[in-house]
Amino acid sequence: MDEKTKRELIEIVGEDCFTDRLIDLISYSKDASEHKHRPEAAVWATTTEEVSAILKLANQEMFPVTARGAGTSLAGLTVPEQGGLVLDLGRMNKIVEINIEDRLAVVQPGLVYADLEKALAPHGFFFPPDPASGKVCTLGGNVATNAGGIKGAKYGTTKDYVLALEVVLPDGRVLHTGSRCMKSVSGYDLTKLFVGSEGTLGVVTEIILKINPRPALTSTAMATFQDLEDAGRAVSEIMYCGILPSALEIVDQQTLIAINQNTDLDLPEVEAILVAEADGHTKEETEYQLSKIINIFKKNGAGSVTRAEKPEDAEALWTARKSAYAVITRINNNIFVEDLTVPMSKVPDMLRAISDIGKKYDLKMPTVGHAGDGNLHPCISIDGTNPDEMKRMQEASAELFKKVIELGGTLTGEHGIGLAKARFMKMEHDDVAMDVMRSIKQTFDPNNILNPGKMGL
Amino acid sequence: MKTKYGFERKFRDQVLRCSSCGFCQAVCPIFGLTFRPALNARGKMLVLQEVMDGDAELNQELIETLFQCTTCANCSTNCPSGVSVPDIIKEARKDMVAEGACHPAFIGMNEALKMRHNIYGEENSEDFERERNRKADYVYFIGCVGSFREDEATMETLDLLDRLKVDYTLIDEVCCSGVLEDVGHRINQDLVNRNIELILATGAKKVITGCPYCFRTFNDVNSYKGLRDAGVKVIHISQFLKDFDFDVISDMVVTYHDPCDLGRHCGIYDEPRETIRKIAPNFVEMPHNRADALCCGAGGGVRGAYPANSIAMARRRLDEVEQVGAQVVLTECNSCLHNLANAKLRSQKFNIYTTAQFINMLMTESGK
Repeated sequence: MDEKTKRELIEIVGEDCFTDRLIDLISYSKDASEHKHRPEAAVWATTTEEVSAILKLANQEMFPVTARGAGTSLAGLTVPEQGGLVLDLGRMNKIVEINIEDRLAVVQPGLVYADLEKALAPHGFFFPPDPASGKVCTLGGNVATNAGGIKGAKYGTTKDYVLALEVVLPDGRVLHTGSRCMKSVSGYDLTKLFVGSEGTLGVVTEIILKINPRPALTSTAMATFQDLEDAGRAVSEIMYCGILPSALEIVDQQTLIAINQNTDLDLPEVEAILVAEADGHTKEETEYQLSKIINIFKKNGAGSVTRAEKPEDAEALWTARKSAYAVITRINNNIFVEDLTVPMSKVPDMLRAISDIGKKYDLKMPTVGHAGDGNLHPCISIDGTNPDEMKRMQEASAELFKKVIELGGTLTGEHGIGLAKARFMKMEHDDVAMDVMRSIKQTFDPNNILNPGKMGL
Repeated sequence: MKTKYGFERKFRDQVLRCSSCGFCQAVCPIFGLTFRPALNARGKMLVLQEVMDGDAELNQELIETLFQCTTCANCSTNCPSGVSVPDIIKEARKDMVAEGACHPAFIGMNEALKMRHNIYGEENSEDFERERNRKADYVYFIGCVGSFREDEATMETLDLLDRLKVDYTLIDEVCCSGVLEDVGHRINQDLVNRNIELILATGAKKVITGCPYCFRTFNDVNSYKGLRDAGVKVIHISQFLKDFDFDVISDMVVTYHDPCDLGRHCGIYDEPRETIRKIAPNFVEMPHNRADALCCGAGGGVRGAYPANSIAMARRRLDEVEQVGAQVVLTECNSCLHNLANAKLRSQKFNIYTTAQFINMLMTESGK
């Protein structure tokens, strides 16, 4: 990026909101994936007008622009792979409006998920797709990745809540998609096209989200399974028995062993643990749902079933699942949190495959996941400074995704493609699908300035 | 591993363990103020990873991030990978100073301490109208901020100890010198020895510190081993006061600010609260409290090196005091007191004291 361009950027955002300092370039070179590349400069935009002027300039000077929220992506979505400019939206973090009558919230993209939750709580409302990084991730990032969370099985993912968007296109035009209405089939669904587009089509500058009334109560139970297949059957049966649990999580044996090695929780080292939560507005309602779940646990060979009597007990049942990440990250110096989804009936097959692939490549791959929607997270823990382990990790990961596709699954449930899975795109999508995706990219971004190199396009 | 840098020898594995998840961003007081990822713990660990990989030099360019950390430890408390960021930062600062890349605010600080024996380079402290270096059960160790900046709070604390009939003595104390380690220098063993000698000469078996940082230095730093070997126990004033009944009650709405050095670094959250609840039944917590408390912005040399950001962090803390409608905010650290008091706006009507100071004021008022 030449000095003239930098001066023009400073004219748009002001001296204080532009940087090409080394410390900033390093901090913008990475997200939570293994990918890394420094940008040449970064700006903190504060208005839609600024974003528009920046993109217009980028389109004219043909430099890449990578939009960024909190940079918590696990797949390299926010790594400026081809240098250029990082467009940090973290300072566009206002709640524009909370409208309970219309059941919506209007927010800027840099707003942190947890801050929206905090603002909705007094109204008795919430925004259900709750990523594990909720304390820090931004809603713009959630829209760009179509983020999910543990409530996916009942409440869906981000796309199910985005009503409308304000998007700046690469040529600087400002596009308004969708409407403030709960229902709308007016024209193509441009809103959905942008959700999960990983910042490759436009830069979102305002988001209108549908919000839900928060059920007041939850009931929780945990079951142990000596046999993975039994746990898998229980998951399937729960999901078609007529009720929808608000969470149904699985923790595998390797994770339980890792937790026991690093804590004093003393968990049973069975093949799988399932934790289920039912929500509702009366105790009767949640207990009814939970009883159904518990019956299915028992029918499918659960070893022990523990039902939380009090909220503190529920916390204890969640400990295994919630402590998993912190424990797994400490096994070695690097962790690769994979993300895949298979049809629910295939969860046990996939878990077996993960275990077999781990053994084949001599890698630790403890796995947790949102069993209720078939979304699993094998976490490959390795010594990142060991080239041989890195190579085995890459090979294991390729085999993992081959298996996912064989089982009728998909490459990612909630983390996105980014750089991490760009090489697998053709495994899932045939030539026609890839062609159409490329045409869409070409239509919106003919000069390929927005987050180039992502999604294997 | 051959490397010229101490931070790498000591913490290579820890620095690598930072998985860049970014969770620290949610709690970093400097990020919360600036929204600049380079200043957050993740940004700092990325910089150090690049230094270890040979992709960045440990030079002047890195001062702005590596010297801009209050070492509040909110990042490490919330780090899923268990990275001890403040320890790493302190070690990296030493390497930087060795490379000639010291923040201007701390250049020659070690030399200045040799001359003047306190962090402010001042000649004489308040004498607090008390005999020093006498035989006593306890030594009360004030600390630099309490001696040179918050002497009113110290005077009230000493008056309180007198009221409680505690047999204590002051000593001709010098800076504990722990702070040197925070800003890239090495601890001054001459100063350490002087404190140890003076303490031992009193025959006291317990030292009460008014400063949580001195408390940590005496208990954790190897240079003060002589004190521990001699069987001298060092406690913080908040631990000492919790066993007393004061027989005074304030009807004001009181809140408490957890100093990072006492809370997250030493796990002391309950003792101050026990005492405060006895004297102020209208006690309220701020939204961020205990392990989650916001930093006052003064620590890690940030007050000296980045005063504007330091004060701005203190303002964020005081916003919470207003939010809960407190009339009094108490703390257990003269440095927090100093920074919060400096940041207080004229429109903010609450008062800021140390707990001991407040108790003594109540006792004076009620004629006890």
